[in-house]
Amino acid sequence: MDAHSGDHQADHGPCVRVMDSRKILFDGEGFLNDFDDWSETVFETLAKERGLTQITDQHLRVVRFMREYYAYHGRAPMNRQLKEGTGLSVMALEKVFPDGLKHGARRLSGLPNPKTCN
Amino acid sequence: MKQICLIVNGARHEFVIGPERVLLDLLRDDLGLTGTKQSCDRKGQCGACMVIVNGRTALSCLTKVHSLDNAQVTTVEGLGTPENPHLIQQAFVLAGAIQCGYCTPGMIMATKALLDEIPDPSVDQIKKALTRNLCRCTGYKKIIEAVQLAGSFIRRETTPDAMYPKSSDGVMGVSHPRPSALAKACGTAHFTADIRLKDALELAVLRSAVPHARIVSIDVSAAEKMPGVAGVLTASDIKGTNILKYLVADRPVLCKDRVRYIGDPILILAADTQAQADAALATVIVKLEPLPVMSCPEDSLRDDAIKIHDDFPNLCFEQPQIKGNAEEALKNSAAVIEAQFNTQINHQAPLEPEATVAYWEEQEEGEDAKLVIVGRSINIHFHLGMLQSALGWENMSYREAYSGGQFGIKIDVISEGIAGAAALHFKRSVRYIPSLTESMLMSSKRHAFKMDVKLGADAQGNLTAYCNDYLVDKGAYYSIGHVVVNRSLLMLSGSYNIPNVNARARMVYTNNPWGSAARGAGPPQVNFALECAMDMLADKIGMDPFEFRLKNSLQPGQSKSTGRIVQQWCLPELMEAMRPHYERAVQEVKAHRQGRIKRGVGLGTGAFGIGGPGDVSVAAVELDIDGGISVYAAAADPGEGNDSMLSQLTAAFMGIPLEKVRLYTRDTDNTAASGPAAGSRITYMIGGALINALEQLKTAMQETGARTSEELETAGKSKRFLGSKKNEDAGPLDTQTGQGPSFESQVHAVQMVELEVDTESGQVSILKMTTTVDAGQVINPQNLTGQLEGGMDMGVGFALREEYIAGKTRDWVSFKFPTIRNSFEMETIVRETPRPKGPLGATGVGEMCMVPTAPAVINAIKNATGIWICDLPATPEKVKAALNPEK
Repeated sequence: MDAHSGDHQADHGPCVRVMDSRKILFDGEGFLNDFDDWSETVFETLAKERGLTQITDQHLRVVRFMREYYAYHGRAPMNRQLKEGTGLSVMALEKVFPDGLKHGARRLSGLPNPKTCN
Repeated sequence: MKQICLIVNGARHEFVIGPERVLLDLLRDDLGLTGTKQSCDRKGQCGACMVIVNGRTALSCLTKVHSLDNAQVTTVEGLGTPENPHLIQQAFVLAGAIQCGYCTPGMIMATKALLDEIPDPSVDQIKKALTRNLCRCTGYKKIIEAVQLAGSFIRRETTPDAMYPKSSDGVMGVSHPRPSALAKACGTAHFTADIRLKDALELAVLRSAVPHARIVSIDVSAAEKMPGVAGVLTASDIKGTNILKYLVADRPVLCKDRVRYIGDPILILAADTQAQADAALATVIVKLEPLPVMSCPEDSLRDDAIKIHDDFPNLCFEQPQIKGNAEEALKNSAAVIEAQFNTQINHQAPLEPEATVAYWEEQEEGEDAKLVIVGRSINIHFHLGMLQSALGWENMSYREAYSGGQFGIKIDVISEGIAGAAALHFKRSVRYIPSLTESMLMSSKRHAFKMDVKLGADAQGNLTAYCNDYLVDKGAYYSIGHVVVNRSLLMLSGSYNIPNVNARARMVYTNNPWGSAARGAGPPQVNFALECAMDMLADKIGMDPFEFRLKNSLQPGQSKSTGRIVQQWCLPELMEAMRPHYERAVQEVKAHRQGRIKRGVGLGTGAFGIGGPGDVSVAAVELDIDGGISVYAAAADPGEGNDSMLSQLTAAFMGIPLEKVRLYTRDTDNTAASGPAAGSRITYMIGGALINALEQLKTAMQETGARTSEELETAGKSKRFLGSKKNEDAGPLDTQTGQGPSFESQVHAVQMVELEVDTESGQVSILKMTTTVDAGQVINPQNLTGQLEGGMDMGVGFALREEYIAGKTRDWVSFKFPTIRNSFEMETIVRETPRPKGPLGATGVGEMCMVPTAPAVINAIKNATGIWICDLPATPEKVKAALNPEK
C-alpha cells in the first residue's frame, strides 16, 4: 500500500460515488455511510460489481430481513438472528453471498458499519 | 500465618492470614467489598483504596492485615447504601463531584475522616486532607465543594433534601444528579476489575521491553510446568486474523515475528491465580534480535530507514491544506513571525487501569456458545466487530462496565483482544487485570506534533496568512491515524479568519508508543501553535493580544481553513464576556513584575468542531407499559455525564419525570450502534438521534392519544422508533487542497490564565483560570462546568508537567499526575447561544475545554518573564534554562 495521499485516499478513508443518480458516501470498506442511502438500484449496482448478476428470492429475503432488523434495532443482526429471520443456515447464506455475511449480505443490504470517529 | 480479627463495617470477621496480605486484597477478594479501588499498583500514590482504620484514613494497598488485629475498618460500603446514603455520599452527588467515580470512594473516606475531626474545614485543610487522593476528571474544584457541602450537612446548616432539584425546577438547564452518581458514591457501581468470575483464569502477558526487534524464539517449557498454569498462547494459536484493524490492518493481538514498540504483546500465560501467572511468566525465555530503532519521524523518513510495517510506508498519511495563496500573502504582510512548536507524547491517564474480563454464556442446543467481553470500550459495536475478525469467533457480545475515565484512550481495543483470545483458546472464563505500569505500556497515547509555523498580519492587524508544516509521530500502529490529522486540519485556523492558508500534515510510523485519540485528538496540538503564534504576532505589531484576537475573530459568512463558510460564530461575544476579567488581571499583574516571583496573564481561544463530515448516529426509543420511555443507544459514559444528557433530553422533550426514563447503553445485545463516545459528539449526534426518535414517538402518541405502549400497539402503531442524526455535509477533504466538508456545529471558548513564575527555580504556579464558553443550550450546568474544570486541569498538566516516556513513565508519580495541591481557582462564565441543529439547541463540550489551555499557559509565562517555551511540557528545567541561557 502506498502512502495515504493522492489517488490512494480511498484505501483508507471515505469516498463519494455516484449511484442511482445520486452522490452517495461510502466508508473505507465500501459500506454505505448512511442506511437511508440504500435503494434497490444501489443494491443491484453493488451486487453487479461483485459478480452477482442473478438476484434470487433468497437474496431479497436476506436483504429485506437485514434492513428490517436494522430499522428496528439500529444495529446489524448476528448470525443466529439472521438464521432465525431468514430460515437459512450460515453455510447457505454464505453460498448466496459469495463475499460472506458481513462484506456480502450486510454491505449489499446497505447496513452501515458501526461508526468510528471523524 | 496468623489469626486476625477485624471488624469491617460493623461486622466481625476472622482470618488466618500471611504477613504479606494487604487490607485492599482482603476487602476486595475475601469480603467482596469492591467499592475500594486500586489504581497505582499498590504504591500508595492514588488514594483510590483509602479506607478508615480505627478512625484514621489508611491506604489499604499498603496496610498489612497482620498489624490490624481487632481493628475497626470502615469502607465506602459501610457509610451508606444507595437506599440509605450517608450525608457525605449525598454531598458528592449533589456537588457534581462524581464523574467517572473511580476516585470517589477514596475521596469520600478521606472526607469522612476529615469531617469527623474538623467539621468546618478551610480549603487548605481540605487540600491537606485529600492530598493523597488523585482525580483525573474534575480538576478537584467540585470535590472541594463537595467536602464543604458535606460539612454543612453534618453541621445541620442545610440538608440534602433542600439541595435536590425540585420537579418545579424543570428539566433542562438544571443540575439533576447523574443517574449513576449514587451507585458510584456508595461503591456499588461495578468497574471491570470488580467483576468476579468463578474459576476464571488470570492472565499475564509478556511484552516487548525493546522498541524494535525480530522475534527469534520463544521457550515456554519451564513456564508450562509451573504450578497452576493452564497454558500459554502465542500468535499462532489465534484462529482469526490476529489483527485489530481500526482503519488499517497493522496491529496484532499478539506479535508473530516482530515487535515494534516497548509494550508490544508477545504471548499470554494463563493460570489459576495472578501470582501463579506472574511467576510462570518470569520463566519464559524470548530471544529477540534488535532492529534499527526509529525514535522520531525524521528517523523514519530517512532514505535508508527500514519499513516498520512491510505492507505500509513509514510515511503513512499525508494531507495538504491550501486556501488562497499563503506564500504570496506573507510576502506582502506588514509583519510575519516564524517559530517551531513541539508537543509531547502523552498518556491520557484515566485513573482506572486497563482491564477486561471474558466469560461464556450458554446458548441453545446447536448454537455456538457466546463469548461475552466486559471492558471499558467507548465504541462497543465497532470494537465487537474488530474482535470478531481478529479472534475468529462470531457469537460474541460486548458489555461496558462502569469505566474509570478514558479521555480518548478507549477509542481503540486495548486489553480486550488478549482476554478474548485467551477465553477462546482455553474455553474458560478469564480475567485480564494488568498493572498500571502494564496498562501504560499497552495503551495508546497522544501523538507528538512538530510544527513549523509562519503567521502574518497587515499593518492594521488583520491576519493575512498562516503556514504550518507539521510532522505527526504515529508511533508503531495506525489506530485512528488520519482521523487525527484530518481533525487538526479541519480546525487548523482555530477561532480566526485567515484568508490564506498553506499547511502540510505528514503522519509517520515510528517505534514509539502508538498514538490514537486523546482528549481533542489533534486540535490541542495545532491550536497550541496557532494561539502562541497569535501572541508572538500581536507582540510584533504592538497590539494587545486580546484586541488582536477579537479583531481577527471569524464572522458568520467567512470561511475556515477548509473553505467552509460558517453560519454561526460565538467568539466575539465570549471575548467581550472575558474583557472585564482580562482588564482586571492585566492591572493586577503590574504589581508583580519585579523580583524573583513574576506574574503573567495569558489568553487562548478555541473553536472545536462537533458533528464531523458525514457523521451519522442512531438511537432507539420505546414507550413502556407505564408511560415511561426506554432509550437504547450505545452511548458510553466514562464520566462525562452522557446518562444525564440522555435522561434530561428525553424527560424534557416528552414531558415525563426523569425517573421514568430508562437507559440501555452498555450492551451490544440491546443497543443501537450509535457510534463512539468520542469527538465530543455524544450530546450533539446521539442526543440528536434521540430527539429524532422521540419526535416520531410523540407524533404516534399524539395521533392515537396513546399514553402507554399497550395503548399505542392497540392503536396499530409501533411502540419503538429508531431515530437518526446526520451531518449532510459529507465526504473526504480534497486530497490536494484539504478543502471540503466540515463540522455542523462548534463549541467556543476563551480561556485566561493567571500564573506566577519562580525565576530562580523555573517553577510555574497557576493562580487562576477563567473561561468563557458557549456550548449552546445547557442541559446540566454541573456537568458542563465539570467538563470545563477537568479539562483546564488536564490542559495545565499537558502544558507544564505531563509526558509519557516509554520505559520510564511507569506510574502516577513518574507521570506527574495532577494533585489537589496543584489545583487552582477556576471561574466559568457560560453563554447559551442555541445551536440550530443541536438537540434542544445543545452541542458538546468535553474536549474543547482543554484546547485553549496550553497556549494560554505558555502565553502567560511569556507575559510574566519574556521567554517563549515552544516545546511542551514547560517543565521547571526548561523555564529555568530559557531564563538563564548562558548557564
